[in-house]
Amino acid sequence: MSGRVIVVTSGKGGVGKTTASANIGTALAASGASVALVDMDIGLRNLDILMGLENRVVYNLVDVVEEKCKLRQALVKDKRLPNLCLLPAAQTRDKTAVNAEQMQKLCTELKGLFDFVLVDSPAGIEGGFQNSIAGAEEAVVITTPEMSAVRDADRVIGLLEARKEEIGQYRLVINRIRPQMVKTNDMMSVEDVLEILSVKLLGVVPEDDEIIISTNKGEPVAGTENPRAGLAYRNIARRLRGEEVPFIDLNSFNVTWFDKIVKIFTPVRA
Amino acid sequence: MQVLNWFFRNKDENVRSRAKDRMRLMLIHDRLELPPDRLASLEEELIAVVSRYFEIDRQTTRFDLQQYERRAALIANFPLLRSKS
Repeated sequence: MSGRVIVVTSGKGGVGKTTASANIGTALAASGASVALVDMDIGLRNLDILMGLENRVVYNLVDVVEEKCKLRQALVKDKRLPNLCLLPAAQTRDKTAVNAEQMQKLCTELKGLFDFVLVDSPAGIEGGFQNSIAGAEEAVVITTPEMSAVRDADRVIGLLEARKEEIGQYRLVINRIRPQMVKTNDMMSVEDVLEILSVKLLGVVPEDDEIIISTNKGEPVAGTENPRAGLAYRNIARRLRGEEVPFIDLNSFNVTWFDKIVKIFTPVRA
Repeated sequence: MQVLNWFFRNKDENVRSRAKDRMRLMLIHDRLELPPDRLASLEEELIAVVSRYFEIDRQTTRFDLQQYERRAALIANFPLLRSKS
């Protein structure tokens, strides 16, 4: 078997890389593919929490690289999906604990075992990011419709483009879009961001409070019936598998009659 | 106070298009690694060169940075009045 190694990255922190990794991984696995989630945020481990697996971590990525354990020993099986595994980051080490060569070797080994290897990159464009893209063949760039996030995404796209030989394609996920704010011209739209970045779109994820709840539960929304962010992530997974899935009409949700009334009585900050 | 702000809010203010314009200009500079004053000095030099050959209308001379895909283009527009001998 030779799987696909896909890095999930963003440049800016806090835009939802780890949430996206957890949800895309869950959705891919739920659709039948075997998936390895690799947490590359060494020193700031978080993907295990989002997956609800923090109590099951024994070994980690650095242990594997340093040959303190076998790869299979470090892989943590998901609670619900037997074909989904997590390779946790080390919490007590830092980004210099691994290098690009070791990562390439690790990714080669992982893609022999799984259909999809999703590498959750740390924020920034330094060592941790460079290691994360070292073994990748595709990239998913996450941004939000905020200026700082779009600027950092552009920087990352520039760096990915410079490695065209290795990274064949990269696509964009626009996270936390708020349709109501776009409507009132207070936030950049999906089209605006796409036009500015000139990049292919993989998905649009609306702002959804369920994300916070699901993090607290340790159950990614993509594995539930959630019709907003959950559906968006399930659609992203289908697109990654090569299906043509139309983008959801953002105006169809998030704006209930209650929101509308609240909006009328909420003074708008100019 | 907030209510007053709401009433006096400038309806024409479109934060979204302002963000988009700022974003576009910023990214062109980022991608080219262009220092902010660099373009102004180029514009001055271009005007000087064209002025050696033509009398130009300085009032309507325009420089514009445009984005094509992920590349930038500098569009210069020199309205020519007459050639210089």
